[in-house]
Amino acid sequence: MNIVTIQNGDFLVIKLQGRLDTAQSSIVEKMFLEILDHGHERIILDCEDLDYISSSGLRIFLIAQKKILGVSGTLRICNLQPNIREIFDISGFSMIFSISHDLVAALNPDL
Amino acid sequence: MEKSVKHQTLILANQLGELETIRASLKKLIVDWGIPSSMEFSLNLVLEEAFTNVVNYAFNNGREHQIELCFEIQEGNLVVTITDDGLAYDPTMIPEPDTELEAGKRPIGGLGFFLVKKFMDEVKYRRSENKNQLILTKKLAL
Repeated sequence: MNIVTIQNGDFLVIKLQGRLDTAQSSIVEKMFLEILDHGHERIILDCEDLDYISSSGLRIFLIAQKKILGVSGTLRICNLQPNIREIFDISGFSMIFSISHDLVAALNPDL
Repeated sequence: MEKSVKHQTLILANQLGELETIRASLKKLIVDWGIPSSMEFSLNLVLEEAFTNVVNYAFNNGREHQIELCFEIQEGNLVVTITDDGLAYDPTMIPEPDTELEAGKRPIGGLGFFLVKKFMDEVKYRRSENKNQLILTKKLAL
Protein backbone atom coordinates (compact mmCIF):
# COMPACT_ATOMS: atom_id res chain seq x y z
CA MET A 1 0.00 0.00 0.00
CA ASN A 2 1.33 3.42 -0.97
CA ILE A 3 0.08 6.70 0.41
CA VAL A 4 0.74 9.98 -1.38
CA THR A 5 -0.32 13.29 0.15
CA ILE A 6 -0.72 16.48 -1.88
CA GLN A 7 -1.82 19.88 -0.60
CA ASN A 8 -4.33 21.26 -3.12
CA GLY A 9 -5.68 24.67 -2.13
CA ASP A 10 -7.46 24.25 1.20
CA PHE A 11 -7.48 20.49 0.96
CA LEU A 12 -4.99 17.83 1.80
CA VAL A 13 -5.49 15.15 -0.85
CA ILE A 14 -4.49 11.69 0.31
CA LYS A 15 -4.07 9.20 -2.52
CA LEU A 16 -4.45 5.61 -1.35
CA GLN A 17 -2.76 3.18 -3.73
CA GLY A 18 -3.01 -0.60 -3.56
CA ARG A 19 -4.80 -2.82 -1.05
CA LEU A 20 -6.22 -1.65 2.26
CA ASP A 21 -6.53 -5.01 3.99
CA THR A 22 -5.97 -6.45 7.44
CA ALA A 23 -2.23 -6.64 6.85
CA GLN A 24 -1.95 -2.95 5.93
CA SER A 25 -4.55 -1.42 8.19
CA SER A 26 -2.45 -0.63 11.25
CA ILE A 27 0.13 1.28 9.17
CA VAL A 28 -2.57 3.28 7.42
CA GLU A 29 -4.43 3.96 10.66
CA LYS A 30 -1.26 5.31 12.25
CA MET A 31 -0.65 7.58 9.26
CA PHE A 32 -4.20 8.88 9.31
CA LEU A 33 -4.05 9.69 12.99
CA GLU A 34 -0.74 11.53 12.50
CA ILE A 35 -2.24 13.65 9.72
CA LEU A 36 -5.27 14.49 11.84
CA ASP A 37 -3.07 15.27 14.83
CA HIS A 38 -1.17 17.74 12.64
CA GLY A 39 -4.35 19.79 12.44
CA HIS A 40 -5.49 18.97 8.90
CA GLU A 41 -9.25 19.42 8.91
CA ARG A 42 -10.05 19.45 5.20
CA ILE A 43 -9.17 16.16 3.62
CA ILE A 44 -9.96 14.36 0.37
CA LEU A 45 -9.30 10.65 0.11
CA ASP A 46 -8.60 9.93 -3.53
CA CYS A 47 -9.30 6.22 -4.07
CA GLU A 48 -8.56 6.06 -7.80
CA ASP A 49 -5.78 3.52 -7.21
CA LEU A 50 -7.32 1.80 -4.21
CA ASP A 51 -7.89 -1.73 -5.51
CA TYR A 52 -9.26 -3.52 -2.46
CA ILE A 53 -10.69 -2.82 0.96
CA SER A 54 -11.84 -5.05 3.80
CA SER A 55 -13.60 -4.25 7.08
CA SER A 56 -10.28 -3.28 8.65
CA GLY A 57 -9.98 -0.54 6.02
CA LEU A 58 -13.59 0.57 6.48
CA ARG A 59 -12.85 0.88 10.18
CA ILE A 60 -10.12 3.45 9.44
CA PHE A 61 -12.39 5.48 7.17
CA LEU A 62 -14.99 5.64 9.95
CA ILE A 63 -12.41 6.61 12.58
CA ALA A 64 -11.21 9.43 10.29
CA GLN A 65 -14.77 10.62 9.67
CA LYS A 66 -15.56 10.71 13.38
CA LYS A 67 -12.36 12.66 14.13
CA ILE A 68 -13.00 15.15 11.34
CA LEU A 69 -16.62 15.64 12.40
CA GLY A 70 -15.37 16.21 15.94
CA VAL A 71 -13.41 19.27 14.80
CA SER A 72 -16.12 20.38 12.32
CA GLY A 73 -13.79 19.63 9.43
CA THR A 74 -14.52 18.19 5.99
CA LEU A 75 -13.74 14.73 4.68
CA ARG A 76 -14.55 13.81 1.10
CA ILE A 77 -13.93 10.61 -0.82
CA CYS A 78 -13.55 10.42 -4.58
CA ASN A 79 -12.83 7.99 -7.42
CA LEU A 80 -14.16 4.86 -5.71
CA GLN A 81 -13.78 1.78 -7.90
CA PRO A 82 -17.08 -0.11 -8.46
CA ASN A 83 -16.22 -3.08 -6.20
CA ILE A 84 -15.34 -0.74 -3.36
CA ARG A 85 -18.39 1.43 -3.98
CA GLU A 86 -20.51 -1.72 -3.59
CA ILE A 87 -18.96 -2.38 -0.18
CA PHE A 88 -19.64 1.22 0.82
CA ASP A 89 -23.27 0.81 -0.26
CA ILE A 90 -23.76 -2.47 1.63
CA SER A 91 -22.14 -1.08 4.78
CA GLY A 92 -24.17 2.11 4.77
CA PHE A 93 -20.96 4.10 4.31
CA SER A 94 -22.28 5.74 1.15
CA MET A 95 -24.69 7.66 3.38
CA ILE A 96 -22.18 8.79 6.00
CA PHE A 97 -19.47 10.01 3.64
CA SER A 98 -19.46 12.74 1.07
CA ILE A 99 -18.52 10.80 -2.07
CA SER A 100 -17.59 12.55 -5.31
CA HIS A 101 -17.18 11.08 -8.74
CA ASP A 102 -13.67 12.45 -9.23
CA LEU A 103 -11.09 14.75 -7.68
CA VAL A 104 -12.31 17.86 -9.52
CA ALA A 105 -15.81 17.33 -8.13
CA ALA A 106 -14.43 16.69 -4.65
CA LEU A 107 -12.45 19.95 -4.74
CA ASN A 108 -15.41 21.92 -6.14
CA PRO A 109 -18.63 20.27 -4.91
CA ASP A 110 -20.72 23.27 -6.01
CA LEU A 111 -19.70 23.08 -9.67
CA MET B 1 -20.22 -28.77 -15.76
CA GLU B 2 -17.09 -30.90 -15.75
CA LYS B 3 -17.31 -34.15 -13.88
CA SER B 4 -13.77 -33.98 -12.56
CA VAL B 5 -13.44 -33.63 -8.81
CA LYS B 6 -12.63 -30.14 -7.71
CA HIS B 7 -11.26 -30.16 -4.23
CA GLN B 8 -8.35 -28.40 -2.57
CA THR B 9 -7.24 -28.05 1.03
CA LEU B 10 -4.93 -25.47 2.55
CA ILE B 11 -3.41 -26.02 5.98
CA LEU B 12 -2.54 -22.64 7.45
CA ALA B 13 -1.07 -21.31 10.69
CA ASN B 14 -3.15 -19.02 12.90
CA GLN B 15 -1.32 -15.95 11.66
CA LEU B 16 -2.57 -13.03 9.62
CA GLY B 17 0.45 -13.43 7.33
CA GLU B 18 -1.41 -16.41 5.85
CA LEU B 19 -3.88 -14.02 4.23
CA GLU B 20 -1.34 -13.68 1.44
CA THR B 21 -1.34 -17.48 0.96
CA ILE B 22 -5.14 -17.45 0.82
CA ARG B 23 -5.14 -14.64 -1.73
CA ALA B 24 -2.63 -16.39 -4.00
CA SER B 25 -4.41 -19.75 -3.72
CA LEU B 26 -7.79 -18.21 -4.51
CA LYS B 27 -6.35 -16.44 -7.54
CA LYS B 28 -5.05 -19.74 -8.88
CA LEU B 29 -8.28 -21.65 -8.15
CA ILE B 30 -10.33 -19.05 -9.97
CA VAL B 31 -8.29 -19.67 -13.11
CA ASP B 32 -7.98 -23.46 -12.72
CA TRP B 33 -11.64 -24.03 -11.90
CA GLY B 34 -13.06 -21.47 -14.30
CA ILE B 35 -14.74 -19.40 -11.59
CA PRO B 36 -15.80 -15.99 -12.97
CA SER B 37 -12.95 -13.56 -12.29
CA SER B 38 -15.53 -10.92 -11.32
CA MET B 39 -16.02 -12.95 -8.12
CA GLU B 40 -12.39 -12.74 -7.03
CA PHE B 41 -12.79 -9.47 -5.14
CA SER B 42 -15.75 -10.57 -3.01
CA LEU B 43 -14.42 -14.09 -2.41
CA ASN B 44 -11.10 -12.66 -1.31
CA LEU B 45 -12.94 -10.29 1.02
CA VAL B 46 -15.08 -13.07 2.51
CA LEU B 47 -12.09 -15.34 3.14
CA GLU B 48 -10.07 -12.48 4.65
CA GLU B 49 -12.88 -11.57 7.05
CA ALA B 50 -13.65 -15.15 8.06
CA PHE B 51 -10.00 -16.17 8.50
CA THR B 52 -9.13 -12.98 10.42
CA ASN B 53 -12.02 -13.68 12.80
CA VAL B 54 -10.67 -17.15 13.55
CA VAL B 55 -7.11 -15.90 14.08
CA ASN B 56 -8.24 -13.07 16.34
CA TYR B 57 -10.92 -14.78 18.41
CA ALA B 58 -10.57 -18.56 18.43
CA PHE B 59 -7.32 -18.94 20.34
CA ASN B 60 -6.15 -17.70 23.71
CA ASN B 61 -3.17 -19.85 24.58
CA GLY B 62 -0.50 -18.16 22.45
CA ARG B 63 0.36 -21.45 20.74
CA GLU B 64 0.47 -22.18 17.07
CA HIS B 65 -2.67 -23.78 15.69
CA GLN B 66 -3.66 -25.09 12.32
CA ILE B 67 -6.58 -23.69 10.40
CA GLU B 68 -7.84 -25.73 7.48
CA LEU B 69 -9.43 -24.16 4.43
CA CYS B 70 -11.13 -26.62 2.14
CA PHE B 71 -12.37 -25.50 -1.27
CA GLU B 72 -14.83 -27.64 -3.23
CA ILE B 73 -17.21 -27.37 -6.12
CA GLN B 74 -20.51 -29.07 -5.24
CA GLU B 75 -23.45 -28.99 -7.62
CA GLY B 76 -22.49 -25.67 -9.14
CA ASN B 77 -21.62 -24.10 -5.79
CA LEU B 78 -18.25 -23.07 -4.46
CA VAL B 79 -18.12 -24.37 -0.88
CA VAL B 80 -15.33 -23.21 1.41
CA THR B 81 -15.08 -24.90 4.81
CA ILE B 82 -12.88 -23.32 7.46
CA THR B 83 -12.01 -25.64 10.34
CA ASP B 84 -10.10 -24.75 13.51
CA ASP B 85 -9.53 -26.34 16.91
CA GLY B 86 -10.05 -23.14 18.86
CA LEU B 87 -12.61 -22.05 21.43
CA ALA B 88 -16.23 -22.52 20.47
CA TYR B 89 -17.02 -19.43 18.46
CA ASP B 90 -20.06 -18.96 16.27
CA PRO B 91 -19.60 -15.86 14.11
CA THR B 92 -23.11 -16.20 12.68
CA MET B 93 -24.34 -15.03 16.09
CA ILE B 94 -22.54 -11.67 15.83
CA PRO B 95 -25.24 -8.99 15.86
CA GLU B 96 -25.69 -7.20 12.55
CA PRO B 97 -24.61 -3.57 12.46
CA ASP B 98 -27.21 -0.85 12.00
CA THR B 99 -26.17 0.49 8.59
CA GLU B 100 -28.66 3.36 8.80
CA LEU B 101 -26.93 5.17 11.65
CA GLU B 102 -25.22 8.50 11.06
CA ALA B 103 -21.41 8.60 11.31
CA GLY B 104 -21.29 10.01 14.84
CA LYS B 105 -23.39 7.12 16.16
CA ARG B 106 -21.86 4.26 14.14
CA PRO B 107 -19.77 2.01 16.36
CA ILE B 108 -16.26 1.25 15.09
CA GLY B 109 -16.03 -2.31 13.77
CA GLY B 110 -18.58 -5.10 13.46
CA LEU B 111 -18.67 -5.03 9.67
CA GLY B 112 -16.43 -7.98 8.84
CA PHE B 113 -18.81 -10.86 9.29
CA PHE B 114 -21.72 -8.77 8.06
CA LEU B 115 -19.90 -8.54 4.70
CA VAL B 116 -19.32 -12.31 4.72
CA LYS B 117 -23.06 -12.90 5.05
CA LYS B 118 -23.90 -10.31 2.41
CA PHE B 119 -21.58 -11.74 -0.22
CA MET B 120 -22.22 -15.47 0.33
CA ASP B 121 -25.43 -17.35 -0.44
CA GLU B 122 -25.23 -19.50 2.68
CA VAL B 123 -23.16 -19.29 5.88
CA LYS B 124 -23.35 -22.19 8.30
CA TYR B 125 -21.55 -22.83 11.58
CA ARG B 126 -21.02 -26.23 13.15
CA ARG B 127 -19.25 -27.27 16.34
CA SER B 128 -18.21 -30.90 16.36
CA GLU B 129 -15.40 -32.91 17.96
CA ASN B 130 -14.07 -29.75 19.65
CA LYS B 131 -13.66 -28.00 16.33
CA ASN B 132 -15.30 -24.96 14.79
CA GLN B 133 -16.46 -25.36 11.22
CA LEU B 134 -17.67 -22.51 9.12
CA ILE B 135 -19.20 -23.54 5.80
CA LEU B 136 -19.45 -20.80 3.21
CA THR B 137 -21.40 -21.42 0.02
CA LYS B 138 -21.54 -19.31 -3.12
CA LYS B 139 -23.60 -20.17 -6.18
CA LEU B 140 -21.54 -20.14 -9.36
CA ALA B 141 -23.11 -19.39 -12.70
CA LEU B 142 -20.90 -21.90 -14.49
